[in-house]
Amino acid sequence: MRFLLAWFWMCLILASILWYAFLLFYVGIKGGTEIISLGKNLSRRPEGEDGPGTCAP
Amino acid sequence: MWLSQLAILPNISLSPAAGSRIPRMTLTAIDWVIIAIYLAGCVGAGIRTRRYVRDLNDFALAGRQVDVNLGVASLAATEIGIVTVMYTGEMGFKSGLAGAAPGVLLCLAMLIVGMTGFVIEPLRDAGVVTIPELFEKRFGTKVRWLAGLVVVLGGVLNMGIFLRLGGEFLMYITGLSPKASFSLSLLGQQWQLGLLEATMTFLLVLILIYTVLGGMVSVLVTDYLQFLVKGLGIVIISVVVFWNINPLSLIEGLDAVQSQTRTAVNMTMTDPFNPFHSLGYGWVIWQSLLALAVMTTWQTIVARALAAKDASVAKRIYRGTAFYFVGRFSLPGLWGAAAFLYFASAAVGGLPEGIGSLAAMPVYLGRILPAGILGIVVVAMLAAEMSTDSGYLLTWATVIYNDLVSPCLKHPMSQRSKLLTVRLLLVAIGIFLLFYGLWYRIPGRAWDYLSVTGNIYLASVFTLLVGALYWKRANSWGALASIVLGAIGPITFLVINAIVEDPARQISPETAGLSAFGMAFAGMFFGSLAGRMAGIGTAVRATEVDR
Repeated sequence: MRFLLAWFWMCLILASILWYAFLLFYVGIKGGTEIISLGKNLSRRPEGEDGPGTCAP
Repeated sequence: MWLSQLAILPNISLSPAAGSRIPRMTLTAIDWVIIAIYLAGCVGAGIRTRRYVRDLNDFALAGRQVDVNLGVASLAATEIGIVTVMYTGEMGFKSGLAGAAPGVLLCLAMLIVGMTGFVIEPLRDAGVVTIPELFEKRFGTKVRWLAGLVVVLGGVLNMGIFLRLGGEFLMYITGLSPKASFSLSLLGQQWQLGLLEATMTFLLVLILIYTVLGGMVSVLVTDYLQFLVKGLGIVIISVVVFWNINPLSLIEGLDAVQSQTRTAVNMTMTDPFNPFHSLGYGWVIWQSLLALAVMTTWQTIVARALAAKDASVAKRIYRGTAFYFVGRFSLPGLWGAAAFLYFASAAVGGLPEGIGSLAAMPVYLGRILPAGILGIVVVAMLAAEMSTDSGYLLTWATVIYNDLVSPCLKHPMSQRSKLLTVRLLLVAIGIFLLFYGLWYRIPGRAWDYLSVTGNIYLASVFTLLVGALYWKRANSWGALASIVLGAIGPITFLVINAIVEDPARQISPETAGLSAFGMAFAGMFFGSLAGRMAGIGTAVRATEVDR
């Protein structure tokens, strides 16, 4: 049991390192393009248009 | 000395703390250049986004235009600060690999929420800016205001230790003592300033500049940059740690801990692999409840779901970030466990004087990280601190305005006044953090402090949210009782443990946490029944809340 638990944690650690390295590239590329789209969307709105859920009152 | 070389300030000399065994700073000129470029780049990128902010909706939620990957980057960046690295490292140092158990629980909770849409889907569909705003629709203005108060109280107290711990980490990893100070001659006056306090203040000012100007848009952009830098740093540190002690040696070393006493070096680790043995069944049950409450009600996490384009994107952001939370605990936990074995080894012979379980891991990293890598790691940790602080500052300032100030106004503010108010609140929270962080001493483990302070509102707000969205008999009486009763346990913990010095007579964190959940649930149930019997509880049907 002890042996299994030890390797369970070790596998999680190794998987985390790989996952972080993967996300670095994947989210790095995709997130960059989404920032550009976000900027375009925010600039494109006509003057005076508020988004949904604008704070009350 | 190093500050004088940079010629930033005139006539400065650095003096190590009396009795300090950490003699010199390990950063080189190249490291400083990397740090300076990073800081300038981050602040510059953040400031450039101010042109996108037209109203409070843009400022607080980036116009609700956030897509999946940017949401993942921002959520992951915000939820891993230096403080996270410090307390998860401490968990590894004290509980070995089992200290990563909260990470697994958080990951499971996030996956469940991301797959089912539990709470976050109706919350996003309701189109609210903060969680307490939803409560007004169901329970009335008083509940919204009181919920806003406990959210802010729990959130700001929780954040209170971020700067101090972040500063300590940076001091230790660069080979300086947190007590180090420097003298500054300016305008004919001699000033003696703490290096940690000066560093914290400088960092906070930078964070405030871009957060105050650009709000959520600048937080998203800087979070993205910080996600990349921080991710790189975490991977590099983990590889260096494994280079220092291979996985097999680590397991063998930790396995030997249980059969040997480490009293000779004044270090203990109960069971490095089984969280039920080392942390207790009660603690694990409390953490399981806490994990679900965090994922559905922790405002800085929920803010990303609320800023998402729609509920489907919010759920995808949750699913995409879930496994990140395993690494959030297991990787710094690995560094902490490796630090334990390093200091417990006969060659090192125990922790240096004045170094406790919280500081052991950064001191260890400062010793094993090779020259040249240190600059990248420091930048990564600066990124961690900045992304967390900016996200948290923005969130709590928004809640204060939206749920405490706004309901009290008789006439609506103009957009310009709203923005100005939230920006001033941001600065006010920053000033509070600076002073609170300087004098508050954490009772026990840092993670327990953070869990308990978060629990001030997590238990009650979680109960309120579930009640508001899924229990048609919930009413304002139950909501008010839940908020008050849910806050009693954690606040008692903070007060009693600050007064009582004997650990045996202090309240355990799991007692405080579990009692908070129990009392919040009981308050909602019995309070709603009492309100119904008296016929005076305010309640709107759950389906109407979704609109």
